[in-house]
Amino acid sequence: MALLDVRNVGKAFGSLKALDDVSFSVNAGEIFGIAGPNGSGKSTLFNTITGIPFGPDRGKVLLDGAEIQGKSGNDIARMGLARTFQRETSFDKLTVFENAMIGATYGGRQATPTAQRDNAAEALDVVGIAAKDFGRLAEELSVFDRKCLMLATAVAMGPRILLLDEPASGLTKPEIETSIGLIRKIAARGITIVLIEHVLTFLMTLSQHLLVLNQGQMLAMGDPKTVISDPRVVEAYLGTRKPDL
Amino acid sequence: MTAPIPVSAIPSSPGRASWRKEAAAVLVAFAVLALLPFVVTDSYSRHVLIMAFIYAVVASNWDLSLGYGGVFNFGHLALFGIGVYAYGLLTKFAGIDPWFAMALSGVIATIAAIVVTIPILRLKGIYIILVTFGFAQLVMQVILSQSDYTGGTQGMVRIQTLYIGEHNMIRDGKFAYFYIALAMLFLSTVFLRALVRSRIGAGIIALRDNEEYAVSRGVSIVRQRIVTLAASAFFTGVAGAFYAGYQRNASIDVFGMSLATIILSMVLLGGTSTIYGAILASFVLTIFAEAMADLGAWRPIITALLIIGVMLVYPTGLAGFIQSSWNGVFRRDNKVA
Repeated sequence: MALLDVRNVGKAFGSLKALDDVSFSVNAGEIFGIAGPNGSGKSTLFNTITGIPFGPDRGKVLLDGAEIQGKSGNDIARMGLARTFQRETSFDKLTVFENAMIGATYGGRQATPTAQRDNAAEALDVVGIAAKDFGRLAEELSVFDRKCLMLATAVAMGPRILLLDEPASGLTKPEIETSIGLIRKIAARGITIVLIEHVLTFLMTLSQHLLVLNQGQMLAMGDPKTVISDPRVVEAYLGTRKPDL
Repeated sequence: MTAPIPVSAIPSSPGRASWRKEAAAVLVAFAVLALLPFVVTDSYSRHVLIMAFIYAVVASNWDLSLGYGGVFNFGHLALFGIGVYAYGLLTKFAGIDPWFAMALSGVIATIAAIVVTIPILRLKGIYIILVTFGFAQLVMQVILSQSDYTGGTQGMVRIQTLYIGEHNMIRDGKFAYFYIALAMLFLSTVFLRALVRSRIGAGIIALRDNEEYAVSRGVSIVRQRIVTLAASAFFTGVAGAFYAGYQRNASIDVFGMSLATIILSMVLLGGTSTIYGAILASFVLTIFAEAMADLGAWRPIITALLIIGVMLVYPTGLAGFIQSSWNGVFRRDNKVA
């Protein structure tokens, strides 16, 4: 049974169909990539799955066989589905350690304060934030460090599945390389990853399966190499060649 | 790649002033305040200090919902008013012991805060102001409409005072009331600081800083908002009850914009999200206003100019001013409040 099963999900804003009949499933332990040009509905898909800030208009989302559409975002998070956001996001007025503790305390399944502190400290260690920075306010961190902190707060929850929304956006090339290593490290902990990125090379490096969206609809899905050679995918990204005059 | 971090090596709150240091500073500050009646012997000056303590309780609790919670709760003074009238009604008509009525007034204000939280759970910004302001007006209208009990626009008079055995509370130069007010402020301050430093407090701040992100980490908007407003209401209601017992009357003036503006000024002048800032500003503004009593209409003008001046130079208020001065003099690391 798939860990995450998205069935015929649709979302409309007025007459605009942001998502139209999208279905896919993600198996436990895999890294699943979702690609598509800007405005293709990638982030809307994450929003509808996580219920933050809205769920789908129609269709079903199943987490380990249990329907989660219609549940509140915080309930879905506590069921083991964590997400990150496209922009670096943090609780600015809390310290780095307190940021991680929010994930461990509210989203985690560890009951005792000691276990929660363990989870928070371990999550910060996983993303490479040093103990000397634990007492800094999150707003003092660099863009890359805040992205890492956002990952750490998710890892501290001990999620079963982690949805990453364009983790490479706004990063330099060396930072992107580090991010790839981080995502592999997190996946190695047994956390299933669903990854949105419009940089195809990033997705090709990490994903075992790839879904391409265009204008809210599924364009292609399957093995990444096969998917990116699909003429419809090439057209969506590069457009059609003008006929020679 | 960093070396694994032994959890035992991590301080309980990295980056924050330690519990012990903060507790020691609070105890010293309150010990100094406790000595004041031996220096300030006239009853009028003691009265000014008592009023400053009451305002400090109300303002610091407002700082919890407004500053830490980011909830524009403009019905906070209605919770104070509910405490005033609850005490008056409970002692006068239900014959309940004043001390018990004071605690019960806090509970009633807390229940009222939970009731007002329900319609604002899904609202933001200006809409929360509208609903909470409407709540304050509603409470006032209910009180006015029940004039047989509340006295309507005339208010309630001859409300029962607090008591300590056979001690005469009225003719002791406000000595006993001073210490009761100080004890109330102490308990309220300890409660608020313990709350904001706890994991519940971190959740309140997280929701204020970024609502969607907080929800994605498992923080419940519903639970957190109820906790925030309920927690800010108890001591506000108790302060209202104390005020009624101390003044021996209840007036609908407590629902007016004038008092709300004064208390809000204290929260903003002190600097939001510190608790201590609101307390300090309550002392400064109350004593400052009394010192300028002879200036008539110039008093509010000068007070307003003072607030504007401080906010322009120190947007983080008096708390920010003190922290930067402290750092400047002692060159310490910038500990987070």
